Amino acid sequence: MLRLVLIVAFAAVSAPASAHVTLEKPDSSVGTSYKAVLKVPHGCKGSPTTALRVKIPAGVIAVKPMPKPGWTISVAQGKYEKTYEYFHNAKISEGVVELGWTGGSLPDEHYDEFVFQGFLATELKPDTTLYFPVVQECAQGLHRWIEIPAGGKSAHDLESPAPGLRLTPKRGAH
Amino acid sequence: MQTARSAALAALLAVLLVALTAGIAHAHAVLVASEPADGAMLSTPPQRLTLTFNEPVSPLVMRLLGPGGTEQDVAVKQDGAVLSIVPGGSMENGTHLLSWRVVSADGHPVGGTIVFSIGYASEAGPPPVANTAVGIAAWTARIAIYVAMFIGVGGAFFVSWFGSAPIYAVERVLYAILVAGLLAAPASVGLQGADLLGVSWAQLAEPVVWRTGILSPYAATAVLALIAFFAAQLSFSMASHRNAKIASAVALASVGLVLAASGHASTASPQLLMRPAVFLHALGIAFWVGALLPLAGLLLARPRDAHAALLQFSRIAPFVVAVLIVSGTTLAIVQVVEVSALWRTDYGRFLLAKLALLAVLFSVALYNRLRLTPRVLADAPEATCSLARAIGVELVLALAIFSLAAAWRFTPPPRALASLTATPVAVHIHTQDAMADVRFEPGRAGPVSVSISLLTGEFGPLEAKEVLLVLSAPTEGIEPIRRPAQKGEDAIWRVPDVTVPVAGRWNVRVDILIGDFEKVTLEETVDFRR
Repeated sequence: MLRLVLIVAFAAVSAPASAHVTLEKPDSSVGTSYKAVLKVPHGCKGSPTTALRVKIPAGVIAVKPMPKPGWTISVAQGKYEKTYEYFHNAKISEGVVELGWTGGSLPDEHYDEFVFQGFLATELKPDTTLYFPVVQECAQGLHRWIEIPAGGKSAHDLESPAPGLRLTPKRGAH
Repeated sequence: MQTARSAALAALLAVLLVALTAGIAHAHAVLVASEPADGAMLSTPPQRLTLTFNEPVSPLVMRLLGPGGTEQDVAVKQDGAVLSIVPGGSMENGTHLLSWRVVSADGHPVGGTIVFSIGYASEAGPPPVANTAVGIAAWTARIAIYVAMFIGVGGAFFVSWFGSAPIYAVERVLYAILVAGLLAAPASVGLQGADLLGVSWAQLAEPVVWRTGILSPYAATAVLALIAFFAAQLSFSMASHRNAKIASAVALASVGLVLAASGHASTASPQLLMRPAVFLHALGIAFWVGALLPLAGLLLARPRDAHAALLQFSRIAPFVVAVLIVSGTTLAIVQVVEVSALWRTDYGRFLLAKLALLAVLFSVALYNRLRLTPRVLADAPEATCSLARAIGVELVLALAIFSLAAAWRFTPPPRALASLTATPVAVHIHTQDAMADVRFEPGRAGPVSVSISLLTGEFGPLEAKEVLLVLSAPTEGIEPIRRPAQKGEDAIWRVPDVTVPVAGRWNVRVDILIGDFEKVTLEETVDFRR
């Protein structure tokens, strides 16, 4: 019995430590800044990670990657689908649509985080999930974390889900 | 003498019947679990494999086949209901196949195969092949049975119906042939069992081998053959001419039934056509070939008496040959299905070889009938000896044909091969984003090739960067098998060989990579036949 309890307890504790690439903070309210921390728990089948590329979903604006020693940042600029309102009524219609860290080497047995910042446009719908598809490139092979659950399905059913961000309603007036 | 024989026959039949029904009522052993599980995908080679049954069993055959069909030595340890199989060397990566056969407490053998892969799935080895030595012994036994049926029983029939005074030399030879048949028929039951189990020569003495043979449909054939041989022997010792005729006629009819009872041709449909065709074919052979030995004996021993028998035989022979040709053609048409199978399959090549020998046999027979027979009847000098020699040639040819026919059992007819090559199964998956036609060929468990045609949800061309096929059978506990598809020049994506380890319902998933960050997943289920 004690063993069973221990197993259950261990399972409960260890469950959140996902083997997927995920966002450290899985929810945030619309109309606020968001610091995205991509957690990379492992390489590709034992091979070290050499690049991480992220596609920025529509509605995530003014994205800035955080530099990382040993890695080179690459950024693809593009036009947004529409013009968004930023702080202080500023308008913004283009920016980073894809970014990546390349040239490094993260061994499979090590853990690391890749950080960028952005703003969750007020136009985004609360109570939905935004997905940040990630391509993890390794010395040998690559792993695409790009699966987006179809309607009615949970990301738990997927093998390589894209990191998701749950949007919550805007908190009060600022 | 007669009563003793009949009593022996009755006792033998009773023993066979008891053997046939014994064991049917018992429950057989069942494989409860295996390690690795059937269809498992392992990352590292297992140190040992275990099979767990519901009751204690003893191992009969254990074959571990690696990728490409290489057989690996194994050591088997039994501990009650659990068998541990330790591979002799290290196991390669790829798909392995453990084919097992055990005997349970009721003496009934049970068998099965587990398929598992190490590292990745590859084409598994071919199914275990039968033991050659046992196969050759089974073949020899069958030749002996054919000789006893056609030359022995057929000869007895000719002697009692067409012969005048008995020629003892001929009767002794026929009797010896029938004794050989009486020994070969029961032996062939055991050999059949050994062949079915795929066991070696050394295990022939085990009761389970014989029980398997007795429980197989072939046992009926052996029993009928025994009846035919006994009845033919009886006809020699009958005091009354009429009784001898009856006994030999019963023997001849049994010969027809022997072949109609089992075998490829008899079990083919339409049964109403095939079984009578086989029956008539066998009767025809026995009548014709059976006449040869007594005729030759008669010609050599008492040329004067031979005239009457020769006349009678020559009058009937053309009709018998016609029956042989019509029934044989019918059987061939049903079995071979299409003409090209004649040279494409072993079965067809056997048939061609048999036809070639038959052509020679028919020409010799025709020469005998048209040239030699009239000269013998006209009392031409030396003609009798020539005819006897020519009949000897006919007998040798017949023997060669029997040997070929006996080897036929090792080759399934094209009809059976055709149904083995099962028709493909296809599945159409249509979603808003994309649609796919996934085709599995053949649509049964085992190695299959897969072709995937892709279109957008609006029937436009779909440019995919990568296509991944994922097969899984959650209900069978089979973890996903992933295979990347290769794009062909015809824009069809293919996975040339993937092994579907077990039949049943499988989940088919097609992952289509459209862009670097965009993937469409299509899912459906498909049923694989056994």
